[in-house]
Amino acid sequence: MPAKSIGQEYMKGLWAENPVFRQLLGMCPTLAVTNAVINGIAMGLATSFVLILSSLVVASIKKLIPNQVRIASYIVIIATFVTIADRFMAAFFPPISKALGPYVPLIVVNCIILGRQEAFASKNSVGRSLVDAMGMSTGFILALLLLSSIRELLGAGTFLGYQVLGEWFKPWIIMILPAGAFITLGILLGLALLIEMKTQMRRA
Amino acid sequence: MNLYTRMIVVLTVVGLISGGCLSVVGLLTRERIELNRQKEIEEAIGKVVPGTKSYSAAVEEKDLTVYKAKGEQDNLIGYAIYARGTGFQDVITLMFGTDPNLDKINSLTILEQKETPGLGAKITDGQAFLQFWENREINQGLTLRKPAVDTKEELAPSEVNTITGATISSQKVLDIINLSLEQVRSLKNRGKLEGEE
Repeated sequence: MPAKSIGQEYMKGLWAENPVFRQLLGMCPTLAVTNAVINGIAMGLATSFVLILSSLVVASIKKLIPNQVRIASYIVIIATFVTIADRFMAAFFPPISKALGPYVPLIVVNCIILGRQEAFASKNSVGRSLVDAMGMSTGFILALLLLSSIRELLGAGTFLGYQVLGEWFKPWIIMILPAGAFITLGILLGLALLIEMKTQMRRA
Repeated sequence: MNLYTRMIVVLTVVGLISGGCLSVVGLLTRERIELNRQKEIEEAIGKVVPGTKSYSAAVEEKDLTVYKAKGEQDNLIGYAIYARGTGFQDVITLMFGTDPNLDKINSLTILEQKETPGLGAKITDGQAFLQFWENREINQGLTLRKPAVDTKEELAPSEVNTITGATISSQKVLDIINLSLEQVRSLKNRGKLEGEE
């Protein structure tokens, strides 16, 4: 496989290897906290913080860690950053911390993070791992933003808490319930696949 | 160094460093988190017992805390009761205010809940639920009005309204309040609310 340029390394997280739409990783937070845009953004940022810092640490100490204990070491490193993010949010953004509830501690088991350490940071230089983590984070934030915008708009008629749709609009409560998450994600995944197929056909 | 020693050393070092980082973060944020909690309780007390100038916890139990709310002249103007109990999906934490004789509920506020969004979560909505909790008479015990009514005037003084589509959440809130009122009454009768400043 030819080496990718730094730009390509970043861009792959946005579409070609988007963690949500292409790799189907991190489904638990994607489905659970996208009932409001603010929650989606907060979850995206917290995950990015953890992903970027763990990638940096893992890439810098990858040669010291024996292969047999690598997963355990990664999990300890990830858990440390997650706990820092959790405490920080509880201290400075209590309403968001309350809204996200148990999902912040659960970032520990978000497959995107461990997946990137195992598939990328443990095999690549610190610089590349950083760019890769930033690309994946951006892809994840964009996916959560898209999903939560659709759900909040249809489920409550608001965007970031501001009334967008007029009085005539009757909120579809199902959109902020778990079923709405699955429906929206399913439609978006279908669309992503359709776009991918169309572009491939054009290339062929 | 052979492989086994290296494995143990690496894991220990990683563990120690992360433990160290976490204790620093814990120390730095602990005060602030405690402060947030206190602020939330303070605001809630001011809401449920209007005119509160100072307050003190009279009784602190697992799922029940009774705060004595005092007015301008340091006189008792009511009790703010903090209670927790099971809701439809998860724990509901709420606070309500009563007068000093435990005859009446001033108002109710919900501090934490994870009820169904759009249905049970309406227990935090003033228009849909909380307004029907203002000035309720509690001597005979509160009951739920079902089917729901539209205005406060249609309710008897000891009735509270149901949220249409979320009877269980409404009932659970009522249960938490009735249970904690019973406990507070028995505490009061035993003189437990007077002591401890």
